[in-house]
Amino acid sequence: MIVVGGGHAGTEAAAAAARLGARTLLVTPDLERIGQMSCNPAIGGVAKGVVAREVDALGGVMGRATDAARIQFRMLNRSKGPAVWGPRAQCDRGLYPRAVRRVLDELPRLELFQEMVTDLMLEDGRVRGVRTRGGLAFEAAAVVVTAGTFLRGRLHVGGEAGVGAGRAGEAPSVELAEALAGLGLEVGRFKTGTPPRVDGRTVDFGRLERQDGDPEAYRFAAYAHEAIPEQRPCWITWAGEPLKRVVLDNLERSALYGGEISGRGPRYCPSIEDKVVRFPDTPRHQVFLEPEGLETSELYVNGLSTSLPAEVQVAFLRTIPGLEEARVTKLGYAIEYDYFPPHQLRHTLEVRGLRGLFFAGQINGTTGYEEAAGQGLVAGANAALQAQAREPWVLERDQAYIGVLIDDLVTRGVDEPYRLFTSRAEYRLLLRQDNAPARLGPLAREVGLLTPRQEERLEARLAEEDRVRAWFVETALKPETVRPLCERAGSSVPREPVRAVELLRRPGIAAGELGEAGGAPFARAGAGPHSGGAHDVLTTVEVEVKYEGYVAREHERARTVRHQAAFRLEEDLPYERFRTLSYEAREKLARVRPSSLAQAGRIPGVSPADLQNLMLEVRRLKKEGAAPRVSPPG
Amino acid sequence: MKTDTIAAIATALGPSGVAIVRVSGPAAGGVLRALCGEASPEPRVASLLAIRHPRDGRLLDRGLVTRFVGPDSYTGEDVVEFSCHGGYLTPRLVLEACLAAGAREAQPGEFTRRAYLNGRLDLIQAEAVVDLVEGRSPRLRQAALHQLERGLSDRVADLRGRLVGLEARLVHHIDFPDEDDQPVPIEEIAAEAEAVAAALGALARTAPEGELLREGAVTVLAGVPNAGKSSLFNALLGVERAIVTEVPGTTRDALDAVVSLDGFPFRLVDTAGLRESDDPVERIGVEVAGRWLEAADVVLLCVPARRAPSDEERRFVAERAEVPVVLVRTQADLADGVAAGGEVPGAAASVTVSAVDGRGLDELRAALPRLVFAGLVEAGSDAPVLTRARQRAAVEAAREHVCAFARALAEGVPADLAATHLRPAESELEALLGTIDREEVLDRVFADFCVGK
Repeated sequence: MIVVGGGHAGTEAAAAAARLGARTLLVTPDLERIGQMSCNPAIGGVAKGVVAREVDALGGVMGRATDAARIQFRMLNRSKGPAVWGPRAQCDRGLYPRAVRRVLDELPRLELFQEMVTDLMLEDGRVRGVRTRGGLAFEAAAVVVTAGTFLRGRLHVGGEAGVGAGRAGEAPSVELAEALAGLGLEVGRFKTGTPPRVDGRTVDFGRLERQDGDPEAYRFAAYAHEAIPEQRPCWITWAGEPLKRVVLDNLERSALYGGEISGRGPRYCPSIEDKVVRFPDTPRHQVFLEPEGLETSELYVNGLSTSLPAEVQVAFLRTIPGLEEARVTKLGYAIEYDYFPPHQLRHTLEVRGLRGLFFAGQINGTTGYEEAAGQGLVAGANAALQAQAREPWVLERDQAYIGVLIDDLVTRGVDEPYRLFTSRAEYRLLLRQDNAPARLGPLAREVGLLTPRQEERLEARLAEEDRVRAWFVETALKPETVRPLCERAGSSVPREPVRAVELLRRPGIAAGELGEAGGAPFARAGAGPHSGGAHDVLTTVEVEVKYEGYVAREHERARTVRHQAAFRLEEDLPYERFRTLSYEAREKLARVRPSSLAQAGRIPGVSPADLQNLMLEVRRLKKEGAAPRVSPPG
Repeated sequence: MKTDTIAAIATALGPSGVAIVRVSGPAAGGVLRALCGEASPEPRVASLLAIRHPRDGRLLDRGLVTRFVGPDSYTGEDVVEFSCHGGYLTPRLVLEACLAAGAREAQPGEFTRRAYLNGRLDLIQAEAVVDLVEGRSPRLRQAALHQLERGLSDRVADLRGRLVGLEARLVHHIDFPDEDDQPVPIEEIAAEAEAVAAALGALARTAPEGELLREGAVTVLAGVPNAGKSSLFNALLGVERAIVTEVPGTTRDALDAVVSLDGFPFRLVDTAGLRESDDPVERIGVEVAGRWLEAADVVLLCVPARRAPSDEERRFVAERAEVPVVLVRTQADLADGVAAGGEVPGAAASVTVSAVDGRGLDELRAALPRLVFAGLVEAGSDAPVLTRARQRAAVEAAREHVCAFARALAEGVPADLAATHLRPAESELEALLGTIDREEVLDRVFADFCVGK
C-alpha cells in the first residue's frame, strides 16, 4: 500500500501498515521534512495528550519521538481530576522529525520515496496506485492520502492575494487537489494560521515570567525508553492595550479581515485579529514564548497567530513587555487549503464509493498533530488490512479518543477545523492518559499492530499493573506506618492494620504515598513513583479505587450504547422511504449513512423518537425482504 | 423526500352548520385544483369556491376554501382546508372527492404527528394538542393551552440551557487550563445546581395534580347506609343520577361521574354504605367501595348532622392519614343544629350541608379544589404544569441527576467527575422536548469565554 504525505498522519499511517506486515511505500515531496512540526513545537495538551498516548499504545511513532525530543514537560489540569490530566511536551523542532525518521527506519516493510504525487490511478471504482510529477507510476492495493494543508494551499501575509504554498517556503499540491476533486467528492475550504517567531537573543527575559516544566521523568512511550533531552523553560508575557490599538488600526490590512480568505478558521485557535475584535473587553491576552529547540535561540510566540503584513507584526510584537527590541525571524501567516468534508468517509477512513482510497489528517478538516496521527494510524491500519483481505478495524467511542474523533468526523461532519476536547467524549473517565496502554495495547496486539518487541513490553507492563493492584489489595498497613499520611490528609488514623486499598478510598490519600509508606516493591524499584509505567499504574489504581462508582457508571452507560451499536444499519437503506421519521432526520441519515443505530443517534437532527421509528422501519424492511423467501406450507 | 397526502374530516360528524375537511401533503395543491378548478386562491385567504367531484365534475357543495403553503401551516406541509356545510353527508362527500383526487384517509392524530415530525411542535406541544381536544375540564384546557403556547417547553428548555451552561463553565477550565479567565468558584456552580434542582423539583411537584387534571380527582363518598351520600352525589352533580331511597343499601354498585368544580375535574364516586353486610349483592357493593377508597384522591365522609360521629367513623378518618378526608355533616335540614362532639381529629375539613335546601354546598365546592389541587390553585393558571407520567418521570430523573451532581461537589469529588452527572440530566430534558444537540456545550464555551491562544 501507498501513503501520500509524510506528516504526522502520513508517518503513522505508513508505520501502522508496515507493522501489520504490508509492504508500504511513503511518498512525499521532501524526505527531509518527514514528521515536521509545521506550527507550534509541542505535542499533547488536554485530550490531545491522551491521543498521543493512544497512538503510542497502538504501537505508533508519536510517543517515542516526543520523549526523544521534549525539552519541557507539563501535566496540564493536574489540580483537577486525573480523568482530565493532559500531558504536554514542548519539543525541539529538529530532534522531533529526526526521531520520527529513526523509528520509521526500524520498520523493514517500509520504504520511503521523494516525489510529489499528482494523480491517482483508478479502475472500476477502486484505487490502483498513484502517479508522480516525474511521471512515475506506483501500483498499490490501497492508498492513504495525508496531504495536510497542501491541497491548493494559499499562504497569506497581509491583505495581498496570497501565494500558492503548502507551508512557508514549500510548494502547494495543485494537481492532486484537482485529481481528487475530479472524483466527484465534495470539497471545502478551511484556513489556519501560525504566529511569528522571534530571536531569543533580542528578548528581555528579565521582564518575563519564567515557566519551568514538571520535574518528573514522565514518558509518553509505553513500549520504549528514550533518553530525555536537557529541559528548558517557557516564558509568559502579555499582549495589552497598545497591541490591541496596533491591530485595530491595521485590521483592514489583515488577510482575514480584508476579505482575502474565504475559508473558515478554528474558533478555539483564533488569530490575534479575532481575539481583539471578538473580545474587546478582555484587557490583556496571555502570550507564551516557547523555545524552538536546544540549539537555537528562536522562540515561538504562542497566542499571536496572525495574517497581518510584516511591518504590523513587527509593530505589535514590540508593544509586548520583554519584546520591545525583539527581532522577527519568521513571520506569522494564515494558510487556506482544500479539505474533503469527512461525512464522505467510513469509520475506517476509507472514502465511500472509492474502494482502497483512505484520507487522514487535515485533509479531513481537522487540526492538530495528535488528531492527524490518530487518523493516520487508523487509516493506515485499515488500508493494510484491506490489502490483506482482512476484516476492518475500528475504535469505538468508549475505547479511545481516536474513536470519538473519527466518529465525530464521519457522523457530524465539520464546519470548522476540528480539534478534540474532553467535552467531546462521553466517557472521558474511561479514556485517560494513564490507562492508554492497558486500554489499547491488547487491542493492538490482537489486530497485529505491535511489533514482537512491543508485545513483549506490553506483557511486562500488564504484569506490572497486576502486581501493583495486588499489592494494594493484599497489603495491610500498620497504624504507625500510615499515621503521618493520614494526619496530613486530615483523615482519622486507623486503630488496627488496614488494607492499603481501604485507605486509598479516603480523600487526600494518594496511591504513591501509600506505596512508599508501605515499602512497596514498585516504590523501591528505583525509578520512583512518578515515572514510566509505575506512575501510570498508580494513577490507574487510584482512579479505579477512589472513583469506583463513577467508573462503574461510565462502563454501564457504555454497555447500553454498545447494545445500540450492535443494531447494524446497511449502507444502502432507503431512508427517503421511512415516512415515520422527520424530513430532517431522513435527509441527514441519507447523507451520513450511519453504520449502526448508535451512530444514527449521534447525528444532529435525529431525535430519540426518530431513532425508535428507524429501528421499527428497519425491522419491517427486513421482514418484508424475508417474506418472499418463505416457502408456502404444504 | 416522498410523503403521501392525507385527508380527514376535522370536525365532529353530525348536525352542524359547518364542517372542515383538511388535506395535508405535497399533493394538497393538486387536490384543491381537482376539486375547485385552476383558480388557485391566495394563501391564508378564505375564498368561496364551488367544490366538485374530480371524476364527473358534479357540484358537491359551495364553501370557503383556504390554502396554506408549507412550512407555514399546522403540519409544516402544504395544507388545504375546505369549510363545507355540516351534517352527515356533505363532509363525507367532500372527503371522498379528496380521496378520489389522490389523497389517502388520515390515521387518528396523523396531522399532529406530521407537525411534530416537521418540527412545528415539540413532543410536549403535541401531547398538549390531545389534551386540548379531549380535555373536559377548564383547568386542563388551560394547562394544555399553556403547554401548546410553549409555556412548559420554554421552562424545560430554559432549565436544560442552565445545565448546559453549568457544564460549559466546568468544561472551559478543563479544556483550556492555560487561559486567562479565572476558574468559576465551585460555590457558584453549586448554588446554580441547587437552584436548577429546586426548579425541577417545583415542576415535578405539579405532576401529581397535573396528572389528576387529565383523569379527574377520584372523590369517594363514604358513610354508613342512609348517611346521605347519594343525595350529596346528586346535589354536587346537579342531576338525578343515583336512585335515592330511604332503604339502607340501595346503592349497590359504585356510581361515578365527572364534575367540574372551579374548573378542576372531580370524579365523584358514590359507594355502598360502609357496613358489613349479609346480603351478597350488597357485599359486592362494599368490596367495590373498598377498592375505590384505595384509589381515592379525596374522601367525603358523610355523617348525618343530627348525631355525633361514631367511633367507627372516627377510626375511619384516623386510618386515612395519606388522603384528605372531608367530614360532611349531611341532612342539615333535618337537624336542629349540628349535634355536639362533631370535631374529628385528622379530618381535612368539616362542612355542614343540606342537599334539600342547598346550604353548605358552595362551601364544599370551594373547599375541594383547595384540598386536592392546592399547588395549582396557588401557582395560578399561568404556571407550567406537568400533566403526563412521561413528563413527570423525565423531570424527576433530571432532578435526581442534578442533586447527585451537587452532592458530589459537596463531597469534594473533582469537578470533571461530578460533571458526568449533568449530561444524563440534560438528556432527560432533551428527550422530554424531543430535541438533542451536543455541540451546544462547545458553542456555549466559545460564545461566553475568551478562548484560544
